[in-house]
Amino acid sequence: MHIPDGFIAPQMYLPLYAMAAGLWAYGARRVGRELDEATLPWLASLTAAAFALSFVALPLPGGTSAHVTGVGLLAVLFGVWHAFMAASLVYAMQALLFGDGGVTTLSLNALAMAFCGALSARAFYLAVRPLHVGLALFLAGWIALFLPALLVALALGAQPLIARDAAGTPLYFPFGWSVTLPALLIPHALLGIGEGALTLLGARLIDRLRTRYRTG
Amino acid sequence: MNPAHRARAQLLAYAVAVMLASALSTPAWLLAGVLAALLLAGRQALVILRRALLATLAFSAVVSATYVGHVWWLTATLPWDWLLTVNLRVLLMALLTFLFIARVNLFLALGFSRRLSFLLVLATSQALALRRTLADFRLALHSRTIRPAGLRARYRAAARAMAWLLDRALANAHESAQALQARGWFE
Repeated sequence: MHIPDGFIAPQMYLPLYAMAAGLWAYGARRVGRELDEATLPWLASLTAAAFALSFVALPLPGGTSAHVTGVGLLAVLFGVWHAFMAASLVYAMQALLFGDGGVTTLSLNALAMAFCGALSARAFYLAVRPLHVGLALFLAGWIALFLPALLVALALGAQPLIARDAAGTPLYFPFGWSVTLPALLIPHALLGIGEGALTLLGARLIDRLRTRYRTG
Repeated sequence: MNPAHRARAQLLAYAVAVMLASALSTPAWLLAGVLAALLLAGRQALVILRRALLATLAFSAVVSATYVGHVWWLTATLPWDWLLTVNLRVLLMALLTFLFIARVNLFLALGFSRRLSFLLVLATSQALALRRTLADFRLALHSRTIRPAGLRARYRAAARAMAWLLDRALANAHESAQALQARGWFE
């Protein structure tokens, strides 16, 4: 879902930056309040892990692969604000250090993938956990990929409505919701199954490692 | 000028330039911007142009080809204005970003906030180390299987890699906090 710069109109990305800035400021305070003096190294390590998670291949049938976002796993293990701050920093690093993904689209990616992805994953996990822990972990991973895809599809599809010339020609991303919704939602509904499976397996392995350290 | 001040000024100039470029919708101005960015890049112009094209080509080509097909199907004409405007804008913004990456030390530019620049240094160094180990994991899986690994094996390997990553991150956080404490960072 990494959209390069130039497809999102300033009428959309500037207000989104204002919203994201508010959440980043609150997130920084919240993470700082919840942790002690080790906040900075903790956030740095979590960011590094989130960055590296995006290089873990999500195996697909036929020998191909996509890449996981890891936002669902981070939200389940460390909470919404830690996942949001870490994933936001990753998108900023990818854009400003490696030129991967846009700078103007950073606010959209941070709000859709990092914030809404983490929030929905945590909410699904907490809601379904009393019924079945495994299902809760799987759904957390799935929704953390699917909901951001829906939000990005809505944002992209809104471009022809908010920025067009006098003749009605779009000036940025040219397709409306009738194209963006199926184009993003169908593949991400399927990719979400892989992300859900990896969230389930990853969370269980982490749990086992923590238990081993406690008993060892 | 002090290198830190210069890096900060360049960061500000980059932010303003990207915002201006994103608001442009006239092909002539966008083309002028692309030429200006290439001139600024100097000897690195071709390298930066190649990087910018590689970074944006996949998304831009798919969207452009689909839109051209869509408009041709509906009106039997080609949307030249849109093609030029959007692709030049995407190219200009990518050129500005790669020029910024090539010329500006981001760590120095963020030096106005000790915590932010420290966070970035720590996160980047750890991220690159973790990425390298992940590549080793991938090669290890290939080297230990005669035939390509099946879906189940690849899922188990990916899950193990994720768990290792998070476990390593926890250990890194603990070690970094101790190292910083020992050096009086928190006092």
